[in-house]
Amino acid sequence: MADLTLLVEYKRREFLKVLASGASLAVPVELQGAETRVHVRRAADGRIDAFTGKIDMGQGLRTLLSQCVANELGVPVEEVRLVMGDTDLTPDDGGTWASLTTPETVPAVRKDAAAVRGGPLREPKEWTALGKPQPNLNGRDIVTGAYTYNSDVKVDGMWHGVVLRPAEYRAKLVSADGQGVVREGDFAGVCAPTLAEARALAGKAKAEWAHEPLPALDKMIAAFKAEGKPPVENNQVRYPPLIRRGDAEKALATAAQRKSLTFTLAPIAHAALEPRSAIASFGDDGRLTIRCGKQAPFVVRAEVAKAMGMKESDVRIIVDMPGGGFGCKQRSDVEVEAARLAKASGKAVRVEWSRTEEFVWSYARPAALIETETGVDASGKIASWRQRNYNAGAPGLRPPYDFADHSNEFWATRAPLRQGSYRSLAATGNNFARESTIDEWAAALNRDPLEYRLAHIADPRLKSALEMAAQRFGYKGRKAGVGLACNLEKDGRMALFVECAMEPFRILRMTCVADFGAALNPSNLQNQVQGAIIMGIGGALWERLEFDSTKQLTTRLTNYRVPRFTDVPVMDVHIVDRREITPAGAGEAGITLTAPALAAAIFSLTGKRTMSMPMLA
Amino acid sequence: MAKLTFTVNGTRRTVDAAAGARLIDVLRDGLGLTGTKPGCREGTCGSCTVLVDGRAVRTCITPAAGVAGKRVTTIEGLATGAKLHPLQQAFLDQEAYQCGYCTPGMILGAAGLIARNASPGEQAVRQALDGHLCRCGSQPRIVQAVRAAAEVMRRG
Ligand code: FES
Ligand code: FES
Repeated sequence: MADLTLLVEYKRREFLKVLASGASLAVPVELQGAETRVHVRRAADGRIDAFTGKIDMGQGLRTLLSQCVANELGVPVEEVRLVMGDTDLTPDDGGTWASLTTPETVPAVRKDAAAVRGGPLREPKEWTALGKPQPNLNGRDIVTGAYTYNSDVKVDGMWHGVVLRPAEYRAKLVSADGQGVVREGDFAGVCAPTLAEARALAGKAKAEWAHEPLPALDKMIAAFKAEGKPPVENNQVRYPPLIRRGDAEKALATAAQRKSLTFTLAPIAHAALEPRSAIASFGDDGRLTIRCGKQAPFVVRAEVAKAMGMKESDVRIIVDMPGGGFGCKQRSDVEVEAARLAKASGKAVRVEWSRTEEFVWSYARPAALIETETGVDASGKIASWRQRNYNAGAPGLRPPYDFADHSNEFWATRAPLRQGSYRSLAATGNNFARESTIDEWAAALNRDPLEYRLAHIADPRLKSALEMAAQRFGYKGRKAGVGLACNLEKDGRMALFVECAMEPFRILRMTCVADFGAALNPSNLQNQVQGAIIMGIGGALWERLEFDSTKQLTTRLTNYRVPRFTDVPVMDVHIVDRREITPAGAGEAGITLTAPALAAAIFSLTGKRTMSMPMLA
Repeated sequence: MAKLTFTVNGTRRTVDAAAGARLIDVLRDGLGLTGTKPGCREGTCGSCTVLVDGRAVRTCITPAAGVAGKRVTTIEGLATGAKLHPLQQAFLDQEAYQCGYCTPGMILGAAGLIARNASPGEQAVRQALDGHLCRCGSQPRIVQAVRAAAEVMRRG
C-alpha cells in the first residue's frame, strides 16, 4: 500500500511540477512507456510496475488488474504499482467501456505478467490472488476522504474558466464580445484567476446564438421510423446490426398466432455524481497536458489534438479516476474547453461543469422505438421473431432464446438530440422489448412465464440461473406483483425476479442470480451487478429528459428522479462462480434486467402492459 | 471578504470568506478539505454533507457565515489517528461504495443519524439517507454498514 500511495503521490507531484514550471516532462526511465508499451515489467528496484490505459470509475479495476498481476507473479496485490490512464505512460489498450476489461484486458495483463515470470498462465486451481474477494485497494482512501478525484485537484497558478452557453439546446454561435472572451467556432468562454472573477466576466460578456427548433419527444420518436435505414449484415463488428437465422418473414406469414408490439424509450441522463472537470496547461515546449476524469484517455487525446490542431504526441492526458462514469465520460468536451482557454491565457486553466451543464451539454442515452413482430406455432412455441430497434443501437439484439426463425435489426436514424454511450446502451431497450413480448405471449397463452421462458432456452447455464433464482426467490408460479426477466448479455447469464405492490407503487424485493463464469473478485462482482440493477430502476420507472420546442427543460437533479434509498428494495444478488469458465465482463449487464422484470410485475398487478420507459412518469 | 472563525475537526481556524460564500467552498478551497464533495450544489444529493455541532448539514446550501463559532466535522476529521471511526470501518468492511464519491457525505449523514438514534432500524436508515444519492447503486451495502457501525458504537 505504502508504495502504491507513493507512486500516486509521485504522479501528483510530478504533474504539479509540469504545470507549474511549464517544463517538459522528463519521465524517469522506470516509468516511461517503451516503444511498444508493456502492461507489466519488473522495475529496476525489483518491484512490479503495471500499466493500463483503462481507468477505475468505481467498477474496481485498479483492484482487479492488480490481482491479475499479483496472481501471475505470486506477489501480494498491494505490491503491484499500477499506473492507469496516462497517455504518456500506459499502453493504449482501449477505452474503459462495454464491459471489455474482463474479457480483453484481464487476459492481456495476465499474459504479460506471466511472461515476466517466464511461465504459463496459472491454472484456476493455482490461483492465489484471483478468484477470491479482494478488498478494493482504494477503500481506505475513499472512507477517509483522501481519494482524489479530478474535482479535487488544484495546481499552482491555476486559473478558472467559464463557458458561455446558449439557452437553446441546438444553437450556433453568431457573435461573442466582451472582456477576455475567447472564441473558437461555437466555443466562447472566459477565464480569470478565480472562479468568481471568471463568472463575473462571463456575466458581462455578450454572446448571440442562432438556434434551431426541437421536435416534441413523441414526434421525434415517431420520426425514427420514417428515417430509419435498414441494417446491412456485418458479423465482424462488436455489435452486429443484423442478427438472424432462417427466414423470419416467411415464418411470420405461416404463424398460428401473431403479435405486433411497439415500445418506446425516452432519452435519459447518466447523472454520475461527480460533474466532469479538466485542468489544461501548455508547457514551454508547446506540449499540452490535461488532467481530467474521463473513461477513455486515448480517445480524449485524439479528439483534443484534432480540436487544437496539434499532433497527438504533443498532447498528454492524465486521468484522475472519475466519481462515476456510466458512459458519460468517454468523449472530450470539458478538456477542449480548458485547452482553448489555457492556450489563450497562457495559464493552467481549470473548467468544471455545473450540474446543469452535465444535464444539457453532455449527451443522453438515446431514445428508441422498438418493434417486435412475433408468431407462435399451434403448440404455443415462438416460431418466428422479428425485432427492430430504431435509433438506440445494436447491443442486446441477440436473443437468449432458441427461436427457429429470427431477425433482430438495428435501424440507424438521425436524432436531433446529442446522444451517446450509456451503461449497456441499447441492450436495456432491447431486453425491455424482448422480455415484455415473451411475457405477453406467456400471458396470452396462459402459460407460466418462467416455464414458458425455460421452454425456449437451450443454454444450460442460463436455464440453471433462472431455476436457481426462482428457488432463491421462492417462486410459486404466477402471482400478482411478481415479475421476472432473464438474458444472456455479453456472455453473462442472468435472471431477475421482482415483487412489487401498488398504491403507491413500490418494489418489495429483488432476487438475482448472475453467472459470468469465473468470479475473479466475487465481492466486487456482486457490488457491480447489484448496483447496475439498482441504476436500472430509475430508467425503468421515472427518468426522462424533458424538452420544449427549443430548450432542454431538465437541468437539475432536483427535478430528475433517480433511485433513492427508499426506492431500493431488499435485494438478494447471488453470483455463481464457475472457476473453469473464462469470465465475462459484468459492469453493465445487470441494468438490462430491471425494466423488463418491473414491467412484468406491473402487468401482473394491473393487467396493463407498459410499453414505454419510463413506466411511471 | 470577511474573517470567519470556527472549529474544524477539532482545530480553531480563521479563514477569509467572501460575502455569501457557501460552507462547501470555504472547506474545499479555503481549507483544502476536499473530502467534502460537490455533486449538485443545490441541496439534493447529500454528497457535500458534514456535521455542524453534531448535526448533518449540506454545505452547498449552508452560508459559511452561519458556522461562525461552531464545530464542523468533515470526513477528514472522523478518524482518531490511524483508527477509523466505526462508520468508516463498517463502510470499508462491507465495501459499501463503488466510485466512492458519495461516501464521505453518506458517512457523515449516517453519523448525524446515529447521533439522534443509536440503534436505527433498516427503515430509519433508509429514511435518514433518502436525500443522499448513490448513483453506483451501493445502497443495500450502505444500509448494512450503517447498522453494523451503530451496533459497534452502542457496544462502545
Ligand atoms: S452538493 Fe450539496 S447536496 Fe448536492
Ligand atoms: S459509490 Fe459512486 S455514487 Fe456512491
